[in-house]
Amino acid sequence: MLHAILHEIETASQPITLHSLSRKLNVQPGALEGMIQFWVRKGRLVVDEGLGGASEIRVCGGRTCFRACPGPAKCPLVSDPLTTYTLKHS
Amino acid sequence: MSEYTIALAGNPNTGKTTIFNDLTGSSQHTGNWPGKTVARKEGVWRTDGDVFHIVDLPGAYSLSAFSAEEVIARDFIVEEGPDAVIVVVDATNLERNLYLALQILEMTPHVVLALNMMDAAKAQGLHIDMAALSDLLGVPVIPMAARAGKGMDALKAKVAQIARQGHAARAHPDQHFHPPIRYSEPIEQAIARVAQAIDACESLRDRYPIRWLALRLLQEDESCIARVSALPGTEAVLEQAREETGRLQKLYREDLDTLIAEERYTWINKLVNRVVQGRPQGPTLSDRVDAVVTHPIAGLFIFFGVMWVIFKLSTDVAAPMVNWIDSFVNGHFAHWITDLLTLAHLNGTWASSLIVDGLLAGVGGVLAFVPVLMFLYMGMAVMEDSGYMARAAFVMDRYMRKLGLQGKSFVPLVLGFGCNVPAIYATRTLENRSDRILTGLLVPFMSCGARLPVYVLIATIFFPVYATLAVLTMYILGIIMALLAGLLLRKTLFRKSEESALLIEVPAYRMPTVRNVWMEMWQRTRAFLEGAATIIMGVSLIIWLLMAIPVTGDGVFADTPVDDSAFAHLAGAISPLFEPLGFGNWENASALISGFIAKEVVVSTLAQVYHVPQPTAADVEDLGFFHQAAEAAVSLVQAIGDTIKSLPAIIGLHLSPPAQKGNPPALMTAIRQGFDESSGGHGALAALAFMVYVLLYSPCVATMAAQRQELGARWMWTSIAIQLALGWIAAFVVFQGGKLLLS
Repeated sequence: MLHAILHEIETASQPITLHSLSRKLNVQPGALEGMIQFWVRKGRLVVDEGLGGASEIRVCGGRTCFRACPGPAKCPLVSDPLTTYTLKHS
Repeated sequence: MSEYTIALAGNPNTGKTTIFNDLTGSSQHTGNWPGKTVARKEGVWRTDGDVFHIVDLPGAYSLSAFSAEEVIARDFIVEEGPDAVIVVVDATNLERNLYLALQILEMTPHVVLALNMMDAAKAQGLHIDMAALSDLLGVPVIPMAARAGKGMDALKAKVAQIARQGHAARAHPDQHFHPPIRYSEPIEQAIARVAQAIDACESLRDRYPIRWLALRLLQEDESCIARVSALPGTEAVLEQAREETGRLQKLYREDLDTLIAEERYTWINKLVNRVVQGRPQGPTLSDRVDAVVTHPIAGLFIFFGVMWVIFKLSTDVAAPMVNWIDSFVNGHFAHWITDLLTLAHLNGTWASSLIVDGLLAGVGGVLAFVPVLMFLYMGMAVMEDSGYMARAAFVMDRYMRKLGLQGKSFVPLVLGFGCNVPAIYATRTLENRSDRILTGLLVPFMSCGARLPVYVLIATIFFPVYATLAVLTMYILGIIMALLAGLLLRKTLFRKSEESALLIEVPAYRMPTVRNVWMEMWQRTRAFLEGAATIIMGVSLIIWLLMAIPVTGDGVFADTPVDDSAFAHLAGAISPLFEPLGFGNWENASALISGFIAKEVVVSTLAQVYHVPQPTAADVEDLGFFHQAAEAAVSLVQAIGDTIKSLPAIIGLHLSPPAQKGNPPALMTAIRQGFDESSGGHGALAALAFMVYVLLYSPCVATMAAQRQELGARWMWTSIAIQLALGWIAAFVVFQGGKLLLS
C-alpha cells in the first residue's frame, strides 16, 4: 500500500492528483493523506505548500527592503497555492 | 465507590471534545501536560456510585512518537495504564482513523470504539457492518452521532463495563494479549523472540505490554530504547531486538518502521473494504467534471474560455464604471479642486499645476482602471474559490513540461499572472538551480495584473469592438513567448534536468461564496490602491517635476509648453529607438521609461503627457456643489445600471440596444492622435505593437529586485537584456509585418 504510492508517482508520465491516486489504489482520500504524511516524515516525499506560509513578500536590494506584495492573502493567485509532493530519489 | 481512569483518544476533528463535554459536563479542569505546552483536559463522570476520571488525550493521527501530541498520548496509555480507552473514530474517514485505533489496540485490550459521525456517513450513503467491525477488531463498537447526542447512553454503559473489567485485571495484567493484526511470519517470529526475552527480564515483564514493547524495539524507537536501557538487566533484550531488526532488514531491505506501517495500512484497507458498503465505485460527478476540465486539449480551451469571460468582464462590463470614474475625476472632482485652489488664491500657480496636472492626471488616470482590476480579481477569486484554479494549473503543467521544466515550475508561472514578484520567489521551491533560473527568466512573460490597465486603455481606444480579444491575445502571446523562450534557453544555456515525479493536492470543487470572493477581491484592490497612493503618486510627482522644468523656449517653471520640458527632451533622446516600432514619439517613450518603475505607471504617464487641460471654471456652468454632487450620484447609478445590463453581453445576449457612442474622452483622442502621428497613419498597428512591447519588455523594478535576490545580478541583467531585445523584435514584427500585410 505505502510502496504502491511511491510506485504510482514514479511511473506516472505526468503529475497525478491525490484524488486520482486514491481512486486508483482504492484507498479513502483521508487514509491516503495519512500514508503520504508517513512518506513525508520518512523524507521520501517532499511537501511544498508554495507561498502559503509566507506572511508577506519583501523584496530586498542592497540594504533596502520594501514590501512588494502585502502577503499571500492580498497577492493575486498566491492565497490558494497548490500543495505538491515531489518524490525524492534515495 | 470505586474510581477508574479512562483515556479519550482519537484523530483531530472526530468529535472527541463533544464526547468529553457530554461525559464530564461542567466538572472539567485544564492544565498542561508535564514539561509540555500541550493542553491537558480532565473531567469527572459519575455513574452508579462510581467515579470515572476522563483524560482527554491530544488529537493525533498515530502513536509513532513523531510529535509532542503523539508522545503524550502514547506515554499515557502505556505508562499510566488507564482502565479503558475510548477511541473516537470518524465513520466517514474510517480508513485513516483506524490506524490510530489499531496502534492503541496493540497497547491495551480494554478499548471501546466510538464510531462517531454516523449521521454524516449515512448521508454519504455509507453502510458500516458494526458486527463485522467489532468482530475483526475484537472490541465493542458503538455507533454514534455525538453532536446530536445519539449513542451517548450506549457508549457510557459499555465504557463503564470495560473500565470495570480493566480495573479488575490490574492485579494480574495480561501483558501477552494479542491484537487483531497479525504481521507476516518473519516479523511475527521476530516479535515472539524479542517478547520471550522481555518476558524473561524481571524489570520489564510487568511494566509494559510485552508484544507492543517488542515491536517498538524492533522498530528502533529511540525513546523506548532509552527507557529500557535505563532499567537493570535489559541488555539481553536490547541485543535480541538489534539482532532481529538486522535480520529482518536484511530479508526485506527496508526499515522495520516502514514494513510495519505498510502491513498495518494493508490490513486496515482490507478490513474497510469488508465492513464498509456504499463507497463510490464508479466515477463521481467531480471525476466526470475533472475528466473534461483537465483534458489536455479540452482543458486548454476551457481555460482560455474562462480567461475570455474574465477579460470580457474587465473590458466591456467594466467600461461604464471606468467611464464614470474618468468623467468624475476629470469633471466634477477636478472642478471642485480648482474651486478650492481659487479659494486659496493658488489657481495658476505651480502648486495648482502640481495638483491638477501632476497628481490628478497621473493618479486619477490609473484610478479610472480600478473597476477593470476589480473584475479581474473577482474572476480570479471565483476561479480559486471554486477549486478550478488548481485544475487550470494542472492543465498548463503539461505544456510547461514541453519546455523541459520540472513539474513544479508551473506554480510560479501561474502565480505570475497575478504578480511577477511572488512568482519569482516561488521559484525557491524548485530544487535544481538550472530550473530555478530558467523559471525565473520566464516568469516576466506572464502578464501580471498591473499590465491589464495598459492593455485595456490601448485596446479600448484602438479596438473598441475587439477589446476583449485584444487583451486575451496579449495573455496568450505571453504564454507562447514563454514557451518559445523556454525552448530556446533549454537548447542553449540550460541542459534538461531530471524530471521529478509529482503528486498534487487538488481541492474539491465547491460553490464560491459571495463573502470569500468579495474579501479576496477587496484585499487585492486595496493593495493596488495602496500602490496608487505610494508608487504611482511618487512617479507622477517626479514626472510632473520633469515636465515643469523648461530646458528650451521661453517658459518658466510650471508654466512651459510640455514639448520644451526636461521630460520631453529626456524621453525624446530615446524615442528614435521606437520609431521602427511605430510609437517613436517622446510621449510614448516616456510612458515606457516610467513603466520600469511599475507597469501601471505607464497609464498614469500617458494620462500626464497626453493631458488635455480641463475646462476652466468659467467654461463650466457653475451649478453649485450639491447640484454637481447629485448629478455625479445619478450618473453613478446609471453607470452601475449599464454595468449590470452589459453582463448578459458576455454570452452575446444584448438586453438593451447598444448605447449611442458619444465623443471619446479628450485623453483618448489625444493618445490616438499621438500614435497616428508617430506611425505615419498606422495608429492601430502601432498601438498593437505598443501592447506587445509592454507585455515583453523588461519587468518592473520590484520584479528585477526579486530576480537579483533569487537568481543573482548576472541573471537579472540577462533577463532584462532578453526581454528588451525580444520586446523590440516582436513589436517590430507586429508593426512592420502589419504594414506589409496592409500595403
